[in-house]
Amino acid sequence: MSAAAFKTKVGSPQLDVRNVLWLLAAMIFVVGPHLFRMPNWLGIFFLAVVAWRAWISWYALRSPPRPLMWAITLLALVGVWVGFGRIVGREGGVALLILMAALKLLEMRNERDVILSIYLGFFLVLTNFLFSQSIPLGLYMIVCVWIFVATLVGFNRVGRSPTLKERLRPAAALLLQAMPLMVAFFILFPRTTGPLWALPTDQRTGQTGLSDTMTPGNIANLIKSESIAFRAAFEDGLPPYRTLYWRGPVMVDFDGSTWKMRNYVSGGRTDHARREQAVRYTVNLEPTGKNWLFALDVPGSIPAGATLLSDMQMRYRRPLTERLRYDMTSYLDYRFGLGANKAQLEAALKFDEARNPRTVALGRQWAAENPDPRAVLSKAAVLYNSGTFAYTLEPPLLNRQDPFDDFLFNSKQGFCEHYAGSFTLLMRAAGVPARVVTGYQGGEVNPLNGELIVRQADAHAWSEIWIAEQGWVRVDPTASVSPLRVENGVNAAMGPIGILPALIQADPTGLIGNVRYAWHAMNSQWDEWVVGYNLDRQRQFFTNLGYPSVDWSTLGFWLVTAIIGVGIAVSIGLLLHERPPRREASLLAWNRFCAKMASAGLARAPQEGPLDYLARLTNARPALAAPAREITQRYIDARYGSGASRDELRALARMVREFRAA
Amino acid sequence: MAASIATLRQSVSDWIFRAQVPESPPVTLGQRRVFILPARQGYFFGLTLLVLLAASINYALSLGFVLTFTLASMAGVAMLHTWRNLAHLRLRPGRSDPVFAGEMAHFTVTIETPSMPRYSIAMRRKDAEPVYTDVGGGEAAAVALPVSASRRGRVPCGRIEVFTRYPVGLFHAWSYVDFGQTLLVYPRPDHTAGTPPAQSKSYNEEGIPVAGEEEFNMLRAYRAGDAPKLIAWKALAREQGLLTKEFSAMASSELWLDWDDARGPDVEARLSVLAHWVLQAEGFGQSFGLRIPGVEIPPDRGEAHRTRCLEALALFETPR
Repeated sequence: MSAAAFKTKVGSPQLDVRNVLWLLAAMIFVVGPHLFRMPNWLGIFFLAVVAWRAWISWYALRSPPRPLMWAITLLALVGVWVGFGRIVGREGGVALLILMAALKLLEMRNERDVILSIYLGFFLVLTNFLFSQSIPLGLYMIVCVWIFVATLVGFNRVGRSPTLKERLRPAAALLLQAMPLMVAFFILFPRTTGPLWALPTDQRTGQTGLSDTMTPGNIANLIKSESIAFRAAFEDGLPPYRTLYWRGPVMVDFDGSTWKMRNYVSGGRTDHARREQAVRYTVNLEPTGKNWLFALDVPGSIPAGATLLSDMQMRYRRPLTERLRYDMTSYLDYRFGLGANKAQLEAALKFDEARNPRTVALGRQWAAENPDPRAVLSKAAVLYNSGTFAYTLEPPLLNRQDPFDDFLFNSKQGFCEHYAGSFTLLMRAAGVPARVVTGYQGGEVNPLNGELIVRQADAHAWSEIWIAEQGWVRVDPTASVSPLRVENGVNAAMGPIGILPALIQADPTGLIGNVRYAWHAMNSQWDEWVVGYNLDRQRQFFTNLGYPSVDWSTLGFWLVTAIIGVGIAVSIGLLLHERPPRREASLLAWNRFCAKMASAGLARAPQEGPLDYLARLTNARPALAAPAREITQRYIDARYGSGASRDELRALARMVREFRAA
Repeated sequence: MAASIATLRQSVSDWIFRAQVPESPPVTLGQRRVFILPARQGYFFGLTLLVLLAASINYALSLGFVLTFTLASMAGVAMLHTWRNLAHLRLRPGRSDPVFAGEMAHFTVTIETPSMPRYSIAMRRKDAEPVYTDVGGGEAAAVALPVSASRRGRVPCGRIEVFTRYPVGLFHAWSYVDFGQTLLVYPRPDHTAGTPPAQSKSYNEEGIPVAGEEEFNMLRAYRAGDAPKLIAWKALAREQGLLTKEFSAMASSELWLDWDDARGPDVEARLSVLAHWVLQAEGFGQSFGLRIPGVEIPPDRGEAHRTRCLEALALFETPR
């Protein structure tokens, strides 16, 4: 197809084909990241519709008839309904929005439809942030917005289809000039706490993390995840690695294979008999969709909005749908639960007699030999230290009815939840109150900022047993089997898990590791100050600036100031465009030269050209001939010749300034 | 109801945006005469921003805030750009050539920009479709505003709205200018009218030359206005200079186009017949005069003469 034919092709009366193609490209760009998250049929449908629209525009065909459009719309709706089970909620809602945007593209007839599509595109940009607010996605979305604005520019160039540069440049200028004001708005716009309306319950379905139950195998799945659970910044250096037990859900209820967290645990007073070795730190917890918080054993201070339950578990007042930052104090040397009530202890002794009979029998046997908990504990230590157990990420599948029997007496290969689960059961059988505690153990120190990065891979499970004079005591059977796990972390115990750690270990220069650490440090700042910028952050920002309290009027004042400031700056920038063209500067210089000569009695006649004038000057004042010739020549070159650069003009001006006619 | 509101709006806007009429060119669209308001798209955009903001607050999406504020700030910046795209333009009225009734006429206006290039500058007369143009930096562009000339006479251009929505269409910046331009519309020539009737005795025996009857008389020096078909091209080819062929019929006769000879049901029809005769006579290179009530134009020939006659026909009995 020739360029001329291309130019005259028109999709529908007003829609230039190139503009339509730009819009389609922008849509593909913005929907792109979604296509990797959504079911395949949706992506195929979307791309097919976009291709169809491109075909319609290219060959200037009619839009599909209305009944067909209705049929397709209905089909799409049914697809979402069947595929997602609902059309509200995050996944379903976004899928619906994508389909509607695609269909809008298809039936787009006039300018108004185009505008609607572009605005829908802006909304699609936002939906991407529901899934990720990382730096790469942010940058990618900037590009998307740029393309959309460029598309808007294209549609507003009436009459002539602009070139690539004529689209991208004005769009870039608009967005760049908008940046300062955007930053001001971002910092100053009053933030609120909590959502305006209830969030759909599937808000965080994609979240990985600990759950409120523990079955052998489910933590091992988490271990493969590189994603970050939380970050902790310690005020006075990192405590010893083996003390880094991040307490999470405490599981008391047990049915023979699954350990379960209690939804209702009494708040009550927690009795500390001893609290020493305080550590202060700040936690940046990634959204979990759950309401528990993590803290080092055992939590001392309690962050605002959280409650400490009698089992030393911290719960937040609502599920975490956004990143939460809280300051904590924990005590590494502690003794608690001495006065645990009867109900609590009884719950920690229950188990299903019918399941795992061999394990139960072993526990009972130990108790029969010596019912003292310490003696039982030492027998357990002997069992797990016997050298027959192996710590592995890929344990064999266990018997469903009696999984812990299978583990203890047959396979003897397991992960932390196998050890913690079987140990707790043994203790209960022996009459020692015991419970499972899940959470994280260890973490990775980022040498660039000293932060501890705790990943899903650091998920761990251990046990707590109750001894009369000591209260609840942590026992980690995994530590006896694989001391490395507790001393140095999961990667040390298992060898590198996943591709990245393997790469890092293989890299002798340490470059990959350092780049990764720098990336993490940057992400940490990004998460803290951009993604996590909330009411507290805003307050903190203003406190740092010296404002003790921030209210709406302060924010409003600065916002208005910023708007006026940016408005003036952009206006001045635009007005500067209007300065006289460069050649005029030479005229100014020339006029000044003529004025100097005039005051010396040699005024230029109005009709006299520069060369004639020069000839007359040279005759009248031979002494001035050289500078006058130079000035005249430069003036002629600048004004009538090839033009002059800024420097040349400046040189001419200086020459005239220094010229003395007398 | 709607109509009366529209009328009211029109009169209010006329009152607010009135300018001294006519204005003497060139007119510079200074800061005080460039107005700007959100376009309909702009209001819609504002609505979109509100939705984006609500979603950002609700889902606590920091990057959602970034997006919302980027777009809002962009709209603010775009307002300045749109305004700037129009401000400081210099406008001059251009030549507006007369046409015959029934043809398309154009008012031309020249737009100049001092230095910054301008894009998609639109101009429109009241109730007409806008015409768009780009103006390069430091250049000038001529815009032809079409008007369908249905009736003979002088057509006033009226107030011209100059507006732009570039770059993103969120704002509508506009200004009004009125140069008091007019355009002359000649009567529609009646091609069915045939030739003027034979002249009465009081004039000359002969009519306009008819094929076969004309006699070649002489070659004379070319005078401005001679019909191209009378130029002796062969002589020119022989490098004898530009000469005009003179026919005896032409040389000897004087044709008067008379109101009384033009038969027609009404004034317009008669004027149409006369217009046709003027064109015909001019085409043959015939010297002719025009006599209509109140106007008598002595016989002559040439472009200027033709124009003068057509003008007289166009303005016949029209209020000045």
